[in-house]
Amino acid sequence: MKMKTAISLLAGLVLVGSQAAAAADTSQGAQLSAMCASCHGLSGGDTGIPAIVGLDEQKIIAAIIAYRASERPNHIMHAIALSFSNEEIASVARYLAAQKTEPQ
Amino acid sequence: MKTWTRREFGGLTGAAMLTALTPRKVLGQSKARVVVIGGGAGGATVARYLAAGNSGVDVTLVEPKRRYITCFFSNLYLAGLRSIESLSHGYETLAQRHGITVIHEKAAAIDPVAKTVGLESGAKLPYDRLVLAPGIAFKFGGIDGYNEAAAQVMPHAWNAGPQSELLRRQLESMEDGGVFVLVVPPDPFRCPPAPYERASLIAYYFKQFKPKSKILILDAKDSFKAQDLFEDAWARHYPGMIEWLPAQFTGGVMGVDVKARSVLTAGDTFKAAVANVIPAQTAGELARQAGLADKSGWCPVDPVTFESTLQPGIHLVGDAIIGGDMPKSAFSANSQAKACAFAIAAALTGSEHFAPHLFNSCYTFFAPDDAFSNAINFKPVAGKLKAVDTFLSKLDESPEIRRRAAHQAVGWYAAFTNDLFG
Repeated sequence: MKMKTAISLLAGLVLVGSQAAAAADTSQGAQLSAMCASCHGLSGGDTGIPAIVGLDEQKIIAAIIAYRASERPNHIMHAIALSFSNEEIASVARYLAAQKTEPQ
Repeated sequence: MKTWTRREFGGLTGAAMLTALTPRKVLGQSKARVVVIGGGAGGATVARYLAAGNSGVDVTLVEPKRRYITCFFSNLYLAGLRSIESLSHGYETLAQRHGITVIHEKAAAIDPVAKTVGLESGAKLPYDRLVLAPGIAFKFGGIDGYNEAAAQVMPHAWNAGPQSELLRRQLESMEDGGVFVLVVPPDPFRCPPAPYERASLIAYYFKQFKPKSKILILDAKDSFKAQDLFEDAWARHYPGMIEWLPAQFTGGVMGVDVKARSVLTAGDTFKAAVANVIPAQTAGELARQAGLADKSGWCPVDPVTFESTLQPGIHLVGDAIIGGDMPKSAFSANSQAKACAFAIAAALTGSEHFAPHLFNSCYTFFAPDDAFSNAINFKPVAGKLKAVDTFLSKLDESPEIRRRAAHQAVGWYAAFTNDLFG
């Protein structure tokens, strides 16, 4: 019984912590990544535009740099990538890599 | 938007969590209040990102309609390719998941001195910051005989909903061989490529069901963006079906005869089986009433914070603003809204505000499996939003690239509406 109470208390704290921290995120990564959500779904699945959350950080950086150099032809991503500095790309990649996809 | 990760959770102590929970209550302060008027692409995004991005802000969204029907993709509805339900979105998730207070009422007046918004019911909402996303209003009077009553016979369908349904019914009951007349307004208006996309998709409908019918576009302009792409697509898909007449040819649209269902230009009368008259536009009524618009009829704003340059403490996003090079589109509104939300959060709670990245992208359909895309990024330069890099689909693109764009457009719609309302 005691154990059960402790577990549900802990679960409550996890939930509270999750909401509060999620709500307070105004980091550079969060602000820049907000623009990704205009096109990329967070639930995964193929809708013509790939989901990008939870991918490997280095892979995201390499992809954005390839889009910037037009090595990958896609003018929407090319225009996005051109607007980012190297520091901004790093900060977006770090943020996206740390996210989990939303359950479908 | 953000979900919790195990790694981040491990980094927080119990004390940190409790402080993070209610920082203002702990300090004995009340939450800063932001009221957002207008629940379209701009308003819904500001509300959502302010609520998600900062626990120190109490967000109220004022929107009379219970369901929002998107203008974007409504041309697909007119062609019979999407249902109106698939374009319709509710505010429940914004309320339940993001903790936004949603009030389904019309805002009647703004008192910038007392900092309150008066609702039609008489209730007053106090605010620390106000955001207006009022969209467009129509300038009736520019076309003789065209007013709100005339729009019930010759719809504009430039706000999605009952107007779109009226136009669709008229197209469905039109006899084969009729002329569909589309009147295109002068710049600036909501969604610049949309009249030409509408002509394309209605031609797609006619081609299948009413192949003897014609489309006549009477334009207030002498050219339009991506004209070569449209003309190429019209020749490929709908040869001989669409005729576009520029203002220099017709002298411009002067009036309508509602009873005869005809459109009058300087020198001619065009009899229509179905007429779609899109009037000239201006900023939404409340923005003009509150003195937020200048002589142009649109609202000047700071291009970094989207705060009105005429009235401090009030921000505007979306179609109603003077957006410089940014077109009036849902995508532009969504992009401006994020920049605005982070700027307001910074002003009210001291959170950091990073240089905004502003962007517009759109997919435009010539046919269900043939679409083009464009993409532009913008930067504030000397108080104005300037286009930096502009990319547009090429005339010689392969059918495969166009087919892929049409597929991506459908994925974009799902992700974008989830970003607004999910």
